Amino acid sequence: MGYALRPPIILLKEGTDTSQGKAQLISNINACEALVDTIRTTLGPRGMDKLIVDGKGKVTISNDGATIMKLLDVVHPAGHVLVDIAKSQDAEIGDGTTSVVLLAGAFLKECKPFIEEAVHPQVIVRSFRLATQLALNRIDEVAVKHSFKDPTEKRALLEKVAFTSMSSKLISTHKEFFSKLVVNAVSVLNADLPLDMIGIKKVPGGSFESSFLVRGVAFKKAFSYAGFEMAPKKYDNPLVCLLNIELELKAERDNAEIRVDNVEEYQRIVDAEWTILYQKLQRIVESGAKVVLSKLPIGDVATQFFADRDVFCAGRIPDDDMRRTAKACSGSVQTSVGNLGPSLGRCGLFEEIQIGGERFNIFSDCPQTQTCTLILRGGADQFIAETERSLHDAIMVVRRTLKNEAVVAGGGAIEMELSRYLREYSRTVAGKSQMLIAAYAKALEAIPRQLCENAGFDSTNILNLLRNKHHNGGLWYGIDITTEGIADNYQRFVWEPAVMKINVLKAAAEAACVVLTVDETVKNPKCQDDVSQQAARKGRAGGVPR
Amino acid sequence: MSLLFDEYGLPFIVVRDQEQKQRLKGVDAVKSHILAARNVANILKSSLGPKGLDKIMVNSDGEVTVTNDGATILKMMDVRHQVAKLLVELSQSQDDEVGDGTTSVVVLAGALLEQAEALLDKGIHPVRIADGFSMAAEICCRHLETISDEVEVSSERKTALVEVAMTALGSKIVSRCHRQIATIAVDAVLAGIKMADLERKDVDFELIKVEGKVGGKMEETTLVKGVVVDKGFSHPQMSKELKNAKIAILTCPFEPPKPKTKNTLSIKSVEDYEKLHNYERKTFEDMIGHVKKSGANIVCCQWGFDDEANHMLLQSSLHAIRWVGGSEMELVAIASGGRIVPRFEELTREKLGSAGIIREIQFGTTKDSMIFIESCANSRAVTIFVRGGNKMIVEEGKRSIHDALCVTRNLVKDNRIVYGGGSAEISCAIKINAEADKIATLEQYAIRVFGDALESVPIALSENSGFPAITTLANVKTLQISTNNPHLGIDCLKRGTYDMKEQRVIETLIGKQQQIMLATQVVKMILKIDDVIANEI
Repeated sequence: MGYALRPPIILLKEGTDTSQGKAQLISNINACEALVDTIRTTLGPRGMDKLIVDGKGKVTISNDGATIMKLLDVVHPAGHVLVDIAKSQDAEIGDGTTSVVLLAGAFLKECKPFIEEAVHPQVIVRSFRLATQLALNRIDEVAVKHSFKDPTEKRALLEKVAFTSMSSKLISTHKEFFSKLVVNAVSVLNADLPLDMIGIKKVPGGSFESSFLVRGVAFKKAFSYAGFEMAPKKYDNPLVCLLNIELELKAERDNAEIRVDNVEEYQRIVDAEWTILYQKLQRIVESGAKVVLSKLPIGDVATQFFADRDVFCAGRIPDDDMRRTAKACSGSVQTSVGNLGPSLGRCGLFEEIQIGGERFNIFSDCPQTQTCTLILRGGADQFIAETERSLHDAIMVVRRTLKNEAVVAGGGAIEMELSRYLREYSRTVAGKSQMLIAAYAKALEAIPRQLCENAGFDSTNILNLLRNKHHNGGLWYGIDITTEGIADNYQRFVWEPAVMKINVLKAAAEAACVVLTVDETVKNPKCQDDVSQQAARKGRAGGVPR
Repeated sequence: MSLLFDEYGLPFIVVRDQEQKQRLKGVDAVKSHILAARNVANILKSSLGPKGLDKIMVNSDGEVTVTNDGATILKMMDVRHQVAKLLVELSQSQDDEVGDGTTSVVVLAGALLEQAEALLDKGIHPVRIADGFSMAAEICCRHLETISDEVEVSSERKTALVEVAMTALGSKIVSRCHRQIATIAVDAVLAGIKMADLERKDVDFELIKVEGKVGGKMEETTLVKGVVVDKGFSHPQMSKELKNAKIAILTCPFEPPKPKTKNTLSIKSVEDYEKLHNYERKTFEDMIGHVKKSGANIVCCQWGFDDEANHMLLQSSLHAIRWVGGSEMELVAIASGGRIVPRFEELTREKLGSAGIIREIQFGTTKDSMIFIESCANSRAVTIFVRGGNKMIVEEGKRSIHDALCVTRNLVKDNRIVYGGGSAEISCAIKINAEADKIATLEQYAIRVFGDALESVPIALSENSGFPAITTLANVKTLQISTNNPHLGIDCLKRGTYDMKEQRVIETLIGKQQQIMLATQVVKMILKIDDVIANEI
């Protein structure tokens, strides 16, 4: 009787999901492992792709860790940490997105026995942080720093790096071709290497090899009015006028109304409207511009006016294309036609050509080209989309390497080396830390192990060979994917930028530590509707009115 | 996707709506994809070649399409399966790029996947199969180059062009009069490039219009060196034929101009009303005056005009066409060498276009009429006017002409050819089998089966022609090896020789290479997928 009367203490909103303690921690780790399992098979040159259909029926076929994680639509709070590190790796480095998730998962998996044995998570975190620091130092120590003065050698280095990044993708059989393309594209840029100055245009049809690089800007022919086809399609050395004005007959102000009292006035008003437009057009033509681009629409009258005077025009040009054109032709986008002279750009060659089923406008041979456009071809949309993602990764890696020229050998070589180093170090420390650092070292082996498994190799055997080799000083020995054995991957030019590995380690360790230090999840009900729905459902099921 | 449980038996959800997602993993996924793709390929198989059959497709609105064009069939089939969709896009991209060979590319992809399945059962890693396929495709493309011939392409020597177009049309419904249609297509393309673009090798299809009209016979299909406008003259009393036309091409309507800004004109007295009336009349007169002054005798107007204006035009003995569409306006302008004029005030003699003859032609007993603008100053813009017994034939005729136009363009771009009738495929298969033995790694198996897959095209060709497929193929193959002649193929039309060079069955080299590369790429992509995560829809 007594306890029935005691009012319950309500701390949180009804429907709030709370779970805590060791069980929660283990459950979080399991969730992360489940996620890692999903993308595990995409790692490495023999990795497979995923086909993901989202709620709207859109299909994505990808091998890129970050893309897959994004599309999986993860709701588990701990799983979200992994999605975030994949995204951050993508933003920061561009490549290695699968590795970072895989490594974080491996760290967590190695911790699980310790958590079950009731080692305090903070102890684990402390040791992991130490181990990460040591590993980073070791990368710095062993990374090979190139500081090429000779541009051809530098180019070779960049191509090698792009090569490695692309070897796991769909386009791997054409990686020689694409690595040249990527390096050419990056080398066009100025010292800041702005990514948005590399435009990527996708044109379905054709095969990979018909992709090409335009040193300048290319974009799809915009919607055009009658008269457009009459304009010439090729100009040598034209002046380019970039505008942000609507060149159309239009009401000057939306709310304006003209009251006319007599008929003579009427004609004058009509003439006035035309004069406004014609003056604008006349000014543009007088400035000597041969190519007129506008962010806003160019109407039929203007199109015909220009065509009549052999001037090419295109309206509704997307903003980023506009900006890149401005950069390429060293002109600037104008919002009035007042004083066009100095703002005009110039390019060596402008033409409109047919690419696949589309017509493209291409500006090339610009005086100070610091922008370029990759035209990608391929059999299907998903195809080109995946090519774009792969090239994005490669471009990012090349940019990174240009800024920071240290490289390490890939194919599991650097991971095995760090693992050996940490294992040896662990024997010199006393206490729990020893076990934990050894666990960390073991987790690092997850990457070469996965590479083997994806290729269908005997991972235990190959890892044993590698451990042996690294113990005997074979610094850069890693997996040789073609012969099912081990080889010196530095000699084989499987090179990756050191920054990428550093970032992978940092992010993965950080993510693992975050998951480890969480021991309670409080999940608020989403919104009032949700709760009432839940209540309704419960009501129906249980038949107990609340 | 099933629920996950941790060791305490509590379920946890990692991915949103986890229970509703379907997931297929590993070899099962690859195999189910292969099955789907093969089904699609099997549907298309029977339309391959000159004896291939057509498909009839009824869409949800009850519209009927009869076609033999692979890309069209797949587009209309409205495929749901993800992987089958890839094949649809494959044939679509072959259509965009080459225009022809849309069926064979799908058949080839299906055959490659069928062969890959056997290798998967042997336990070969899918990525290695894919690698082997792309190595084989490389070998193929190089081999095709060695067996290709160069033909001369110019506006005088167009035999080769016509033959290529004829091969493309061979399997179509129009094959009855395919030499005529092939010549039309070639002339159309050559007219388009005659001017300045021969060195750029850029053929702008926007200048070649394909118009169709139901009625008449397929043989009556003609090439109009000018423009056909699906309109009549605006006034029935205008004469039906006009020689030495001077065309005023206008984008402004025959009516008093209106300011775009919202306006009100308030009329307070009868005199004002009178004035307004006179003003309107005067503007009409001015407009016609402008047209007259420029020397034009026909007006081609983008907009309409009312009966009053129509009447005044007739009185001033001006011909007029109203409501001409934007793209037609443009073609008229290009063909006649005129300028599109947005205002009457700007109309001058220099801006008029000229045409030798403009005719209004009525068809059969219907009231439909069309205007033919011919013998223009500039013959770059041409129109192919397709006739046929019913709508389906006209539509299929248009598609076939598109194919023929595309192959002709390709040959203009690159004048190398290979011989058809499956001869190129058989020759590649022989080459690949010889090369396969030189490769040390696992990919050898994949390369070998690539050769077998290539043979699926000649097999389908002879099956469709009613020959014993395997025997015929074996015959041709031994003949190719013993005589060392890569031009031997399947004699679908029973002409008595296997030599396609004699039969003049020719295809473009880029078309064939493109087919092989595209099919390999798609197969590679399908083989690489080992995991499908799909929302149930």
